[in-house]
Amino acid sequence: MDKIIALAFAGFIAENVILSQFLGICPFLGVSKKRSSALGMGFAVLFVMLISSMVTYVLYRYVLETLNIEYMRTIVFILVIASLVQMVETFIKKVSPALYKALGIYLPLITTNCAVLGVAILNISKDHNFLGTVVYTTAIGLGFIFVMFIFSMLREKINNAPVPKAFQGIPIALVVAAILAILFSRFGGII
Amino acid sequence: MLWDILLPAIILAGIGFVLGILIYVIGKVFYVEEDPSIEQVVELLPRYNCGACGYPGCKEMAGALLKNEAKPALCKPLKKESLPPLEEYLKNYFEAKKQQQ
Repeated sequence: MDKIIALAFAGFIAENVILSQFLGICPFLGVSKKRSSALGMGFAVLFVMLISSMVTYVLYRYVLETLNIEYMRTIVFILVIASLVQMVETFIKKVSPALYKALGIYLPLITTNCAVLGVAILNISKDHNFLGTVVYTTAIGLGFIFVMFIFSMLREKINNAPVPKAFQGIPIALVVAAILAILFSRFGGII
Repeated sequence: MLWDILLPAIILAGIGFVLGILIYVIGKVFYVEEDPSIEQVVELLPRYNCGACGYPGCKEMAGALLKNEAKPALCKPLKKESLPPLEEYLKNYFEAKKQQQ
């Protein structure tokens, strides 16, 4: 039980996917202008992450390992993730056209979101069991949503702040991201 | 030796096949009917999805063009020779719409 809690905490804050591992920076900067689309993107990523790491875990442990072709890991994982994103896209288009419109081009870009592939590979290389995979991936996904949410609120504030012309837009966003990353790196000492 | 090469290929093809069928089924179940003219306008646009027009992608731009919310000139990478067919298509589309009403 302690291990599960430690795993969840590590995924959520200490090994935060954006601010400690620097994965998934593209949606972090691209979709964080509005709070609602940041949350929508976060949940879409969490959903894809969770399903894809469960599927890739089963595929790795029961197909690739039994046949001794572990080196096929990356290509099989990418195949699974790309197909899942396609399915999620069709699903969101039907269920919530507004969210589909807000996410726009960033939805198909989850395919190349390194956070999703990164978590799938981390679960394998850290030797988590199935429960560990589910807990760690959920924590990572929630951490992603959490940071996206904080960052989108900060950016909404920055929009109304008198920012020097040279810093407007992405530069000030990167400065804010750097300060957040410094804050989050301190959490690493807890575990 | 041959088997070492064939086995991974077969496994990968098998996984791809299963996923492909799943995508097909989900695409059928969650099918959304779309205005076919959006697809035709996208054909006339450069399809770079660059976002220079201010819309998230070419598809959204096409939708805005058909609603007369956007002008074809907004599309920066559109070549000069591909502008007349697009304008003509839109003209015909709006005229057809007027006649319907």
